Amino acid sequence: MSFVEFLRNRGDDWVELGIQHAAVVAISVVLASVLGVALGVATYRRERPRELVLAASGAILTIPSFALFILLLGPLGLGWKPVIVALTGYGLMPVIRNTVTGLRAVDPAVIESARGMGMNRRQQLLHIELPLAWPVIITGIRVTTLVLLGIAAIGAIVNGPGYGEFIFTGLARVGTPVAVNLVLAGALGVMVLAVLFDLLFYAAGRLTTSKGIR
Amino acid sequence: MTTQTPDVLIRLEGLTKQYPGQQRPAVDHLDLEILEGEIVVLVGPSGCGKTTTMKMINRIIEPTSGHIYLRGEDVTTTDGDELRRRIGYVIQQIGLFPHMTIGENIATVPKLLGWDKARTDARVDELLRLVNMPPEVYRNRYPKQLSGGQQQRVGVARALGGDPAVLLMDEPFGAIDPITRDRLQNEFLRLQAEVRKTIVFVTHDIDEAIKMGDRIAILTDGAKVAQYDTPERILTAPANDFVAEFIGRGASLKRLNLNHVSDIELRSWPTVRADTDPATALDRLRQADESALLVLDEAGRPRRWVGAEDLRRADGRRLDDVGLPASAVVEPRATLSDALNELITARYAVTLVVDDEGVFQGVVDIEQINEAIRSMRVSAVREARAGLEDG
Repeated sequence: MSFVEFLRNRGDDWVELGIQHAAVVAISVVLASVLGVALGVATYRRERPRELVLAASGAILTIPSFALFILLLGPLGLGWKPVIVALTGYGLMPVIRNTVTGLRAVDPAVIESARGMGMNRRQQLLHIELPLAWPVIITGIRVTTLVLLGIAAIGAIVNGPGYGEFIFTGLARVGTPVAVNLVLAGALGVMVLAVLFDLLFYAAGRLTTSKGIR
Repeated sequence: MTTQTPDVLIRLEGLTKQYPGQQRPAVDHLDLEILEGEIVVLVGPSGCGKTTTMKMINRIIEPTSGHIYLRGEDVTTTDGDELRRRIGYVIQQIGLFPHMTIGENIATVPKLLGWDKARTDARVDELLRLVNMPPEVYRNRYPKQLSGGQQQRVGVARALGGDPAVLLMDEPFGAIDPITRDRLQNEFLRLQAEVRKTIVFVTHDIDEAIKMGDRIAILTDGAKVAQYDTPERILTAPANDFVAEFIGRGASLKRLNLNHVSDIELRSWPTVRADTDPATALDRLRQADESALLVLDEAGRPRRWVGAEDLRRADGRRLDDVGLPASAVVEPRATLSDALNELITARYAVTLVVDDEGVFQGVVDIEQINEAIRSMRVSAVREARAGLEDG
């Protein structure tokens, strides 16, 4: 059976797994972004906490994903939960790093004049610093998304959703003709999602970044 | 002008800033009174504490001890953000918000003060007009689309947003090229004549201090006041060696900064319209005492200098195509020093004076500047002798 035929036969499955894959990544990206931006905002001005948070989130990335999924199996069981938790953890570092970098790159004169106009800390952050750091932050979120799309496939070992199912089924049938098709379909699906997400980020970046800083 | 003595708007009392880890305070028990509607310039060598002093007035820097009174009210420990909304703030780096339009930048303080949209919009347009930037053109532009000079105009407009009584300016024209700086200074003085704010202006440049200040505070280390006086008094009667040295040489030349072109009588100069026929123009030139005619455009703005030779060779061309361009132009707000500067390099040894619309008003030559110096010297001598008789 050729790959094209395979796709035609299993097209419904392929789309369904794609939707699951996109959903689990999207949920994790949102969580990682909210948490990451919050941690970045909380620590960017003080060196010690900043370095600590960056080191810790970097350390998470060094845990082999295979191992982490299995470790989370105990407390969280099978399915979506361990995958979302692991992906959120993996996604933190690029978001935190870029949030910190973006916020620290804001011209001090701009912040001084915001303060001089009588903006309080919250207003400075919401109206001045975050909008100016936003292009850098969204780049971090984009990197996180690409990283998570790849790692999410491994989530199938704990019965997680997405293209991992194709890939691991293929793995179990190595040597049979269908194995290659299964793995190819999974890999192709992840790549297609990566392109789609990237387009989405490009559009979102343009729509949410002020013309004054493009 | 009223004869009534103006009120003290800002009073600093024993104001001190001690930075941790530094031996001596940056500002050491400073007492200073600033009168309503005046431009007070804090000037001194770098590190004298002038910027720290200014930044303690709106408590961007919190004082270690001492008090700040604003119109009699002790604002040393009130809500700092609320205080800053009542005080305009302009810094050298301008610090416009790059992601906001010019209009949004200027609307910053009105929004913080909770003005409604109609009032805010009207205020934005009013301020843009005040700084000579047509609102239709500039309201929706972004800071990066403006030149440095235009950005600083917006910086001033933004600082005036909430119609504050006080404006703090930290070397506002320091980072701008000399020609634009000069124009911005003149524009600012014209604007101040209209809005009459109380302004605290920091600079390290004594010439700028003399030009801008109604009163100058010369500060030494720890923001000790070496002299707090009018520019005239500082130039003619420096209180001590430090002040004399800080003013530097050429105090009498600097005094030219105290008089404006508008203070002296302008001389007239023969002019012709650009559409005048060269033969008629030549006749005019023959009757005049000068060596050239000034060509004006339809609106009366100076265009070219034409001499007899240019007119003979005009050969059917319009007068604004021959001769030399009319350079060395100043506005009435320009100082005599500006005028002198221009006329030294000018082709016919005169400086052209135009009004705000650029319409030709007359000329200044070296004789008139001489006369101005002479009369300043006479009054300075009289003042010095008055002190003698008192003693």
